Amino acid sequence: MVDIVCKKINFNDFLLFDGAMGTMLDKYGIKRGELPEIYNILHPEIIEKIHNDYIDAGSDVITTNTFGANRHKLKNLQYTVSEIVGSAVKIARKAAGDRLVALDIGPIGQLMEPLGMLSFDDAYETFAEQIKIGASEGADIILIETMTDIYEAKAAILAAKENSSLPIICTMSYQNDGRTLTGTDPITMVNVLQALGVDAIGVNCSLGPNEMLPIVTELLKYSRVPVIVQPNAGLPKLKNRQTVFNVEAHEFAEYAKLMAEMGVTILGGCCGTTSEHIKAIKNVLKNLEPVKRNVQKITAVSSSSLTVVLGEDIKIIGERINPTGKKKLKEALKNNNMDYILTEAINQRDAGADILDVNVGLPEIDEREVMIQVIKELQSVVNLPLQIDSVRPDVIEAAVRIYNGKPLINSVNGKEEVMESIFPIVKKYGACVIGLTLDDSGIPSKAEDRLKIAEKIVRRAEEYGIDRADIIIDCLVLTASAQQSEVKETIRAVELVKATLGVKTTLGVSNVSFGLPQREILNRTFLAAALTAGLDAPILNPLSANMISTVNAFNVLWNNDINSKKYINAYSSFEEKTITKEVVKNRDLNKIIIDGLKEEAKELTVELLKTMSEMEIVNKYLIPSLDIVGKKYESGEIFLPQLLQSAETVKKAFEVIKESLLLSTGTKLSKGTIALATVKGDIHDIGKNIVKILLENYGFEVIDLGKDVHENDVVNAVKSGNIKLVGLSALMTTTVRSMQETIEALRENNLDCTVFVGGAVLNEEYAEMIGADYYAKDATESVKIARKFFKCE
Amino acid sequence: MKIEKKEVLRYLGYKNQKIDKNLIDLIEVCCKEIIDICKESFVYEIFDIERKNNQVFLLGSTLVLKDKDIINHLASSKKCLVMAATLGIAVDNRIAYYSRFNITKGLIMDACATTAIENLCDELQAEFMENALVDNLHITNRYSPGYGDFSIENQGDILNVLDAFKKIGLSVTESSIMLPRKSVTAFIGLSEIENLKSKDKCKSCKNKDCDFRKDGRYCV
Repeated sequence: MVDIVCKKINFNDFLLFDGAMGTMLDKYGIKRGELPEIYNILHPEIIEKIHNDYIDAGSDVITTNTFGANRHKLKNLQYTVSEIVGSAVKIARKAAGDRLVALDIGPIGQLMEPLGMLSFDDAYETFAEQIKIGASEGADIILIETMTDIYEAKAAILAAKENSSLPIICTMSYQNDGRTLTGTDPITMVNVLQALGVDAIGVNCSLGPNEMLPIVTELLKYSRVPVIVQPNAGLPKLKNRQTVFNVEAHEFAEYAKLMAEMGVTILGGCCGTTSEHIKAIKNVLKNLEPVKRNVQKITAVSSSSLTVVLGEDIKIIGERINPTGKKKLKEALKNNNMDYILTEAINQRDAGADILDVNVGLPEIDEREVMIQVIKELQSVVNLPLQIDSVRPDVIEAAVRIYNGKPLINSVNGKEEVMESIFPIVKKYGACVIGLTLDDSGIPSKAEDRLKIAEKIVRRAEEYGIDRADIIIDCLVLTASAQQSEVKETIRAVELVKATLGVKTTLGVSNVSFGLPQREILNRTFLAAALTAGLDAPILNPLSANMISTVNAFNVLWNNDINSKKYINAYSSFEEKTITKEVVKNRDLNKIIIDGLKEEAKELTVELLKTMSEMEIVNKYLIPSLDIVGKKYESGEIFLPQLLQSAETVKKAFEVIKESLLLSTGTKLSKGTIALATVKGDIHDIGKNIVKILLENYGFEVIDLGKDVHENDVVNAVKSGNIKLVGLSALMTTTVRSMQETIEALRENNLDCTVFVGGAVLNEEYAEMIGADYYAKDATESVKIARKFFKCE
Repeated sequence: MKIEKKEVLRYLGYKNQKIDKNLIDLIEVCCKEIIDICKESFVYEIFDIERKNNQVFLLGSTLVLKDKDIINHLASSKKCLVMAATLGIAVDNRIAYYSRFNITKGLIMDACATTAIENLCDELQAEFMENALVDNLHITNRYSPGYGDFSIENQGDILNVLDAFKKIGLSVTESSIMLPRKSVTAFIGLSEIENLKSKDKCKSCKNKDCDFRKDGRYCV
């Protein structure tokens, strides 16, 4: 990195940015679809003129013409990122004189994984390239702006922090509903980005100043760093087939004044604003002083779209994604069965969890790799904030880096070497952290001694620059069967820690009952006592109705659940739920499958297992019913949704059968293993998922490689799993090419496997042309191919 | 926003099979859910057309149309409206969720969303028609990349011209898949000549194997 002396920027005073670049370029006749950044090279004098206009209008900071100057957008042009960004900063630097130059970083223009195809690492590298060039050319500030995805903003901020020492400002664009396009609200934005260490935070583009007011209010309420606002000149309107913005300079400046009085200190404009707007703001700011804000600190963790604040009502941390003592989860982790893990998460969410603990520590697996994969999957499926739980600092760092939000780290304790390894991670990635009150001498028996350790943890954390609001103390629960006299010391410690340090607290509640019968009685009673003492966020099993009801009751009695709304909602119709059981017994599983009544399949299978073996059920009920349904589908008697309802019903029955087999004989049922993938570049996976469920219905084991799967990943999976049958899916003419490449890669590696292909644009001929062995016109055809291949007929 | 259940069934491949109340209810639930989570947004611009060397230039933009079918489509138009519309990313997210954990619902939600985006485009088209009439202009049907010989690889250029990522969050992948998935781009010609709307949209489409072709309809 080139060593550049940063200009000291006074964030305590007002800072006036410039207005739009694009709107000004319109006046110079830029065509729709032209990349404005090439003007840095083709017409530098125009860009310089625009900068000069803004400087003359009074801007303290001008923004480089580099909004879209990233390697993805420049891919098909003849200029490099270095040329475009380099020239942009040079032009701005020349115009700026002693004013400041902000390196403009806009969104990459691609959607991030998992819904899009841009990976976090790719986003990071893309931003890092722009930032290195901009910093070395002499920019003073990095302005990350118009972000709609907080995950992308995080990648940009990390790239800025790790590749320059310049101050960072980050703005996001909101819709009228108060969220960004990917669902982030203002409190979440502040909680995540402020913790990542940005110097200012704010909102720009999309809306006019009036529409922005509610968002600005929220930002000011939580942000402890300066707030920046760059509105559009109103909402765009079409007039004589031209897009126009209708908030004139003087009106715009009135809003700027109002926002400054609310506490905003950095102002500027976005689309539709010109040097006139900036000049008008300059005028109103002359008579104003920056407002000193008192911002209340909160303890909060966030996913990308949900912030959970501790200390209001009781928040539940779900403990079930942790393999300790859980046979099925261990099995799922070993087999990379993500669906099982995700279902655990969904069930906990549905049962009332607010935060999910994630621990994947098993000696047989690569904990770091699995943790990254599980975090990526979880954050795409449930929107609850995650608690990253590992004893390994490298695992924690890898997980919090790719986490799309502000996580809670579990945990640190009073041991020096643990604090030294964990606190830098907490600080750098802006996490919350749980501090356990134990040190090299173990867990003190007295509450006062646990408080001492908590004090040490808080003190050391503050030395690392971590705010005490981001620390949650766990006073540790001891088991009543072994250390009965010390159980109440934990309760006392919670009271002491809260009163003395003012931090939030958590406890792993169910530890109290180890080794005693009817554990839930002890757990819920202990929980009630701990809550009374001030416990904020118990770690427990949300699937235990007793625990959840204790929390719900407490929230009523402590006046947290206003008007008992949540409680009434949960329990007013409670009796109704238990009626249907008796009906199930007399029903026929065949008919249930054919009718697709999936809710009834589970209990009926459990019932049948009392009198017959697993394989008898498969051969007598599941396969024959599936065959009937398959025939009905082929003859047109039923259509696809009906076929799928039956398939899902069989799936429910199969889950019971598989579990029973695993528990009784430790074996798995598999008639053969098949790898399935939607090929590289393609993201349509409904078709592939339909094939998957039908194959599983017939007892095949499916290795689901997912969507957008690179050919090398298919080759590796086939090699490592010694897989003999591979199914590939592609839905676009553009992605059938990748299908062909995948088949070629399998052949080139001399893998002895058979390939079947499917997808809307394929047919028998085409399939043959690209080298496939079989063409499956639909999902039932895939089953036929698999049955023939594995000789199940 | 309303979603026609008949259309949903059509996208699901329904051919008058007997369906029970459970399934009808489920379709109803899916329609409601899509309506609840979709955030329809759109962007459009109108350009003057210039014809030169068998190409159509949309003036003031970088767009140059060279393919036969789209040029035919705009044959008597003097202006061209370029549009992009989307249901937003929350719809993708929800469909992805169900297609993993409740595949029946995933499939039905997908069909509901397809119906919804088509419906949105129909509504917009009706509005464009009214606006055009004020200027004594008539509109053609909408024509999208992927129809006839007009390659989907044109998506990227269209979205650039409309600045669609910044304005409505619409992007395109290297394989020319639009994200959010439930999105449409289209060209509509504006002409002084009336009644340019072809009654049978399928006739001009080259996708002979299309499942939806038979009953005289065209695909998304």
